[in-house]
Amino acid sequence: MCGIIGYVGTGVGKDGDDAASDGGTIDGVGAIVHKGLRNLEYRGYDSAGVALVGESSGLTVAKRSGEVDGLTVPDVPDATHGVGHTRWSTHGPPTDANAHPHTDCAGDVAVVHNGIVENYEELKAELSDHEFTSDTDTEVIPHLIEEELAGASDEDGEGGDLLAAVRNVEDRLVGSYAICAVREGDDRIVVARRGSPLVLGRGEDAAFVASDVTAFLEHTRDVTYLEDGDVAALEAGDVSIFHHGEPVERAVETVSWEADAAEKGGYEHYMRKEIHEQPSSLRQTLAGRLDVDAGDVDLDVSFPPGFLADLEEIRIVACGTSYYAGRYAAQLFEELAGVRATVEIASEYEFGAGRTPDRTLVVAVTQSGETADTLGAVRRANAAGARTFAVTNTLGSTVTREVDGTAFIRAGPEIGVAATKTFASQVATLAMLAVAVGRDRGALGAADARSVLDDLRGLPGAVQQVLDEEAQVREAAREYQDSEAFFFVGRALGVPVALEGALKLKEISYDHAEGFAAGELKHGPLALVTPETPVLAVLTDGARANETMNNVTEAQTRGAPALGCVSEGEEFGTLDVSFEVPDVGVVEPIVANVYLQLFAYHVANEKGRSIDKPRNLAKSVTVE
Amino acid sequence: MSDDSVTAVILAAGEGRRLEPLTNRRPKPMVSVANRPLLEHVVEAVAAAGVDRIALVVGYRQERIRNHFGDGDDWGVTIEYVEQSTQLGTGHAVLQAEPVVDGPFIVLNGDRIVDPAVVSRVRDRARDGDHPAMTVTTAEHPREYGVVSLDGDRVTGIDEKPEGPVETNRINAGVYAFSPAVFDAIRETHAPGELAITATLNELASAGDLTAVRYNGRWLDVSNLWDLLTVNAALIGEPERTEPERTEPADPALDESVTVADDVALAGNVRVGPNVTIGGSTAIGSNATIEASAVVENAVIFPDAVIGAGAVVRDAIVAGNARIGPNATIAGGPATVVVGDAVHRDVDFGGVVGDNATVGGGATLTDGAVVGDDVRADAGVVIDGRIESDAVVRRG
Repeated sequence: MCGIIGYVGTGVGKDGDDAASDGGTIDGVGAIVHKGLRNLEYRGYDSAGVALVGESSGLTVAKRSGEVDGLTVPDVPDATHGVGHTRWSTHGPPTDANAHPHTDCAGDVAVVHNGIVENYEELKAELSDHEFTSDTDTEVIPHLIEEELAGASDEDGEGGDLLAAVRNVEDRLVGSYAICAVREGDDRIVVARRGSPLVLGRGEDAAFVASDVTAFLEHTRDVTYLEDGDVAALEAGDVSIFHHGEPVERAVETVSWEADAAEKGGYEHYMRKEIHEQPSSLRQTLAGRLDVDAGDVDLDVSFPPGFLADLEEIRIVACGTSYYAGRYAAQLFEELAGVRATVEIASEYEFGAGRTPDRTLVVAVTQSGETADTLGAVRRANAAGARTFAVTNTLGSTVTREVDGTAFIRAGPEIGVAATKTFASQVATLAMLAVAVGRDRGALGAADARSVLDDLRGLPGAVQQVLDEEAQVREAAREYQDSEAFFFVGRALGVPVALEGALKLKEISYDHAEGFAAGELKHGPLALVTPETPVLAVLTDGARANETMNNVTEAQTRGAPALGCVSEGEEFGTLDVSFEVPDVGVVEPIVANVYLQLFAYHVANEKGRSIDKPRNLAKSVTVE
Repeated sequence: MSDDSVTAVILAAGEGRRLEPLTNRRPKPMVSVANRPLLEHVVEAVAAAGVDRIALVVGYRQERIRNHFGDGDDWGVTIEYVEQSTQLGTGHAVLQAEPVVDGPFIVLNGDRIVDPAVVSRVRDRARDGDHPAMTVTTAEHPREYGVVSLDGDRVTGIDEKPEGPVETNRINAGVYAFSPAVFDAIRETHAPGELAITATLNELASAGDLTAVRYNGRWLDVSNLWDLLTVNAALIGEPERTEPERTEPADPALDESVTVADDVALAGNVRVGPNVTIGGSTAIGSNATIEASAVVENAVIFPDAVIGAGAVVRDAIVAGNARIGPNATIAGGPATVVVGDAVHRDVDFGGVVGDNATVGGGATLTDGAVVGDDVRADAGVVIDGRIESDAVVRRG
């Protein structure tokens, strides 16, 4: 997802932040565009850029990878209009070159774009005499406009018309897009919309365009929503809209909403929204894939004949939360598929000695499909000659182009930096893959497979049951939020969940949180345990609950409060807080994890943390 | 395309205790019929009428609503949420919307399904009319609602659930047109206890200020559990309306041995085993499973539920993630059901099984049985009447 903004006008606007020291106004076209980009940052923030057009200074472009705040907007005092872009990488890594705006060869035309140009390779091939400077699909657009202008200029001798050029280019693009184009010597912003959102803002002597009204809500509340196929030209205080070349009128509406609420569906944070989306995202993950009666799954993946039967090792590579999903899956692969399974942090991965490439399957787990460390690991595995496979949430992502096969987790977009619903869907997808591999290898009988699949189909309902208990978690978070540190423990499938629970809490609350295999507590970390360090334990099926409880008791005798996620029907009377986990067998620890997600969220929320954008962290880490 | 000045305020904060156990975990507007929450049918009617700004007044279990509707993009509308933290009546609920309403607006109930036509008529009245207006429809049992007295098109009074005989079957359909002036009128209304919007309407009526919009179209109200079955049947039976854009897969692949009646709504990712019979007026929700040879008829099956092999589920509601064991029977047919102090005779109601409940293999629900959520009923038990939530029913 990307965000775009355009502004044409006097350059005097209001600053929506009341704390602004200069009396609440901002000056300059560049400043207004920059503020608009900050308002759109929720749509992605791995690179940003602006293009400003001045009466005599011509076209000035500034762009870079990184957050909007890091972008220095050039001082163009005579600027009359400008466009800006905050990017979420889909094609090509977030480098300075790949950041928008993109320009034509002459540097006269600049374009920002949200969406995907599906036929860009084809179009790029037609533009063989043009010089391309980025890996993006977007860059074909300014070059196509340049072609159109040159063609028209030959006819009219006056350099062609930007509006006509955009209209013609728009006819040639396949995909979904919202674009804004500017040109040196032209005082208009020309925009087009198909499939991606684009809304116009109507000021008295200014006009705005953006992916979302939040971009300019502090300046005007009078807006016009463009329809698919609309092309519009914006001038200061005037907007003309065309559809199939004919001028059309579109209604002007008044926005009465406050900016923030509409974006997150009324939730305060994306993370909470995404935690609550898990029942439906998991249903999507499972949809059409479980054949419970036959004890098989349909993941739409294929391997060469005999490959799985001869498999020596499944090697999972991943980072962060995906790495913990991999740790969970490795145990399932060994148990259900009867194959050695190991997990490596992607940045540490090397093919390693003593392995046979054609008997090794390297499975990359990455939500975005763009994680640089994971892509690096995939490339090393490919270089070694191993078969590679990706489990990702993002169609068309880089990883899918570099591996031999892909299973999509179908969790839907995840905006909060702290991964939540994608973890659950990753584990569910990997569990289905383990069943598929186990059945193919003859390592898993139909009855055992049926039991795992029955647990999987019960996962969405079980997660909903946990979400219904949010009030209990909130209360526990309030009680323990001021603790000095938090320790998460589990065994077997409970270990990756303990690690993930600790990661979630530390990344959004900034508290010291660590996860351990419960048996390791007494080999060191117990020294840290005090009455001020609660222990959170995974005490469910698949997590060797009774043994884990012995370790919890060790901590309790040092005065630590103990909170546990306990299988329905079981009871550990000494726990200070007990969260009930519905009976879903080997996926119970994933359900327990939902309690830990809610706990992390509510601790961080009580502390007023920046939950969706924790300090120093980014959603998709596209640098190694 | 759309109207740019009228907001729809939809009241969805209520709990709906008469629909227990279905409302233990979700607000009444989120109870599902035809595979979609009641409230979604209302939002669709509003969107179809061209009103694209909606304020949802939420309260009880509001996460369910916020999570389902998000910012309204899937329905082509913009949704804003306002919170009514304590349920102090419908008038109080309307007041909560004041900060997000800046012109004429309409008010609807989140659990009553109406046609887009009446929404646009009331919208026009809100935009163009000088007086507040209310919709008036007719009902078979007017005494269960607010009975409306008219003088021409002027409302002279509303008698809420009157005790004695009534002279008219005209009732308040619960769709209103207001200007922001109504907020002051609500604040100035003196009513004992809850602040009902009808109290304000009565004051407006006395002042000769309230007009009626007559409405004879569809008006589906869910007062009791078994009403869900009739509303579900009515919605499934009608010609397709425009579906919102969704990413769910299309129809599930069904085995040749499966029999499905025409008036059945199946979610895209339902699993249906061999030799299953799905009779008319049935809705089966996302990720539900109907195992081999089960018979399901005139039923509402919520997401994630499992109907075991050979089970019979007729005239029944099976809530989310509930599990009906193999060969269990909900036979259906006329029943006598007691809700609170009221005895309802001769309703077609086989029973309801609450969320996450398990009914063991071979168990039988006698007609009208209400099984609470999280109930565990052993194999072979006979369940009669009302089983409280979290109970365990043992054989013996």
